[in-house]
Amino acid sequence: MKHFKGMTIPYIFWAFAFIVAPFILIIIYAFTDGGLSLTDASFSLDSFRDIIDPLYATVFMRSFETGIITTGLCFFIGYPMAYFITKFDEKMQPVLILLTTIPMWINLLLRTYAWIGILSDNGILNSALKAFGLPAVSVMYTGIAVNIGLVCNFLPFMILPIYTSLSKMDPSLLEAAYDLGANKIQAFVRVVFKYSIPGVLNGVILTFLMAISAFVIPKLLGGGQYTLLGNLIENQFISVGNWNFGSAISFILAIVILFTISFLKKIDPDDEV
Amino acid sequence: MKKIQSSKIFYGIYIGIIFAFFYLPIAVTMFFSFNSSKSLTHFSGFSLRWYINLITDREIVDAVWVSLSIAILATLISTILGTLTSIGISKCRKVIRELLMNINNVPMMNPDIVTAIGFMILFSSLRIPKGYYTMLLAHITFCTPYVITSVYPKVKTLDPNLADAAMDLGATPFQALYKVLLPMLKEGIFAGALLAFTMSFDDFVISYFVTGNGVSNISIIVYNMTKRTNPTINALSTIVILVIFVTMFIVRFIPYIVRKNKKGRNHILNEKIN
Amino acid sequence: MKKLTSLLLVVVLALSMALTGCGSKTKDKPVLKIFNAGEYIDKSLLTEFEKAYGCEVIYETFDSNESMYTKIRSGETYDILVPSDYMIERLIKEDYLAEIDWDQITNKNLLNPDILGQSYDPDNTYTVPYYYGTVGILYNKKVVDKEDLADGWELLRNEKYKDDVYMIDSERDSFMIALKSLGYSMNTTKEKQIQKAYKWLVKQRDAMNPVYVTDDVIDNMISGNKSIAVVYSGDAAMIINENKDMAFFEPEQGTNFWTDCMVITKTCKNTELAHEFINFICDADNAYINTQYIGYSSAVQPAYELMRDDDYKGIAAYVPRTGYKKDEVFTYQSNKIRKRYSELWTKIKAY
Repeated sequence: MKHFKGMTIPYIFWAFAFIVAPFILIIIYAFTDGGLSLTDASFSLDSFRDIIDPLYATVFMRSFETGIITTGLCFFIGYPMAYFITKFDEKMQPVLILLTTIPMWINLLLRTYAWIGILSDNGILNSALKAFGLPAVSVMYTGIAVNIGLVCNFLPFMILPIYTSLSKMDPSLLEAAYDLGANKIQAFVRVVFKYSIPGVLNGVILTFLMAISAFVIPKLLGGGQYTLLGNLIENQFISVGNWNFGSAISFILAIVILFTISFLKKIDPDDEV
Repeated sequence: MKKIQSSKIFYGIYIGIIFAFFYLPIAVTMFFSFNSSKSLTHFSGFSLRWYINLITDREIVDAVWVSLSIAILATLISTILGTLTSIGISKCRKVIRELLMNINNVPMMNPDIVTAIGFMILFSSLRIPKGYYTMLLAHITFCTPYVITSVYPKVKTLDPNLADAAMDLGATPFQALYKVLLPMLKEGIFAGALLAFTMSFDDFVISYFVTGNGVSNISIIVYNMTKRTNPTINALSTIVILVIFVTMFIVRFIPYIVRKNKKGRNHILNEKIN
Repeated sequence: MKKLTSLLLVVVLALSMALTGCGSKTKDKPVLKIFNAGEYIDKSLLTEFEKAYGCEVIYETFDSNESMYTKIRSGETYDILVPSDYMIERLIKEDYLAEIDWDQITNKNLLNPDILGQSYDPDNTYTVPYYYGTVGILYNKKVVDKEDLADGWELLRNEKYKDDVYMIDSERDSFMIALKSLGYSMNTTKEKQIQKAYKWLVKQRDAMNPVYVTDDVIDNMISGNKSIAVVYSGDAAMIINENKDMAFFEPEQGTNFWTDCMVITKTCKNTELAHEFINFICDADNAYINTQYIGYSSAVQPAYELMRDDDYKGIAAYVPRTGYKKDEVFTYQSNKIRKRYSELWTKIKAY
């Protein structure tokens, strides 16, 4: 049965050229000091020494904080959503899932612009509040605005995997739990939640990953003072032109994330290569 | 019985609120595409001027073309590449399989921005001029892993001797692949292709870093509009939304209606026979 | 197996040919690659130029001088760039620019002589001016007291207007404000003065809680979201034109006088066409169309005068302050100084 083995060869080459090689280049840039070119680069740990600056620690911390808050919000809002969807009959479920998917097709930036219009000081939200005689709120260019934008964009990525796990569950399992004397909470924790763990993990990984490295949404909704890792990297590559430092930050970010994920994946009982 | 009813209502309300949250910005986007002034916050009157603008704006028309053609090509190529790899990889030795699957995970696990700068560094160190083809290459690269993760689990569920059996019965390897394996993987392949298309069509970060020579997709155009936002792009997204809704409607409900009609006709036929 | 692969290859190739089909029709046309700031030209002019000269224009935009420079350093090539003063100085020093053949710029006599001969290129060997202006404060007349304006840049630290200020998310412009307010040169390299300016900005941040924005300041000020903003004079003119509650002034402590110019790069092969383009943009009618779109003060005198006396009549921001002795032009910064400023700026905004 050797006939189909050869079919992996194109992708092996492809993966090495476009996945492995760029990553190696990032590592090379991170550990050298040649600026934009590699020809006159020599080994250096300068970029890593710069990162120790407390300033960058703050940016790291803020990014993690944003990642955790967004993931948490997505989980607490998304889990009930996914669970409730499974409670509808089989004809309704695909429609609800479709409605959850459609926003993902609309350009992320456009939805973010719409949020600017809604949240800005003289925007739609405040006009509405004014119409009801309520005091105006100032949320644009704050962490709240950033979190609203992130949650709105990433929530479907939490709902869908959880729903997929939950919909595979046999409802008779739950009945069995009740028959065996479990109360509602016990039945939920021991049966439903346990069953949905793979979906939860996938959802958590996806949203955390996207939230921690987001840079457009924080830039548009948070303003310049809301600098996250993504913004820092973009800035180093696009404006400052310090590719070595930018690579070093990217390298650390990638390592942290790959470790976090492989750790989370270990919890997942279903996962195997 | 009554209790179930009331909890259903609660579920419905919750789901409704979340959908309101999802669709509020989309509704705002659509609403302001009909604004007669430039503002995205104050509605001053109904007008279709931004739709006319949309057709005449060369930059936007080009960007739509770039977004669409890249998404279609990237989906096509990554689906083929990913499917072939998924089938082939199940026959490989464990070491190679694990290595390749781990590498395959990198673009999905890595933050977009890291993948993006990786490409940017790669293309500029090789002095490859950035533009349409670099964008396409990048898109194929980040789409293929999604295809593989959708198709490979399906390959695993197949009987490993299936293709051999087909070939023992006289099928060429091509026939075995085309007539036996592919139809059984159809679902996974479609799911992967859909995912790839979504990822490619909506991508901003990677495209932003790997493009050049004036080639921009819709996301890049929108990003560059910060200086002078105007509802032209809202008009575009309104059209995109409508196209999606209509397509989804056709895909989901037409077969249903057709089936119903058929059933009806069969019923009449049956009656006539009787 | 081979059949399948070849079949698929054919399909893919055919599709890519069909989808990218436009490639063939432009082959024989000369191509001009322009790299300009975002929203800095009326694009109908590009189409018109293409028609008139039978060429193809590849138009790309950048969001700051620094990002333009990074792109060029990373090996991208363009024919025409539109950088600002200090970046031009750097590009000249690093030998990126080709000399302008002024004989081919027949519209030369239309250019404002005051804008020619700036310090970075005294004889205009490399540059043809495009637009110019200053940096100043835009304020809401209904909210900000007239007396407070006398404070100049210190208005940005007046706690009466806490939470009501947009600062500019650009290290050079922000440091310019602090340095000018402290009475130093905006081009200082003295660590002590830089430190003082840094402290000025930190104090301002803590006291005022400003928002650091870039181009989104325009939409925000048109909708009147906040009362005070640091803006370029041209943007101010455009905002005032749409929101009459706003007014603009240039602080007496002095400000930055800037010019953006069209330059031709050394890598440009079709210099004839590049010159034609520059001349085309300097044409009085074209410059007027362009200026109506951009709203900045044009270096082409007839277009500028028409805008001043007609479209933007009565808007003082359209007439930037020229010749004031405390105003300065940004000059070249060494990489070390540049890095220093950018580090401090990240510290200020991302505390």
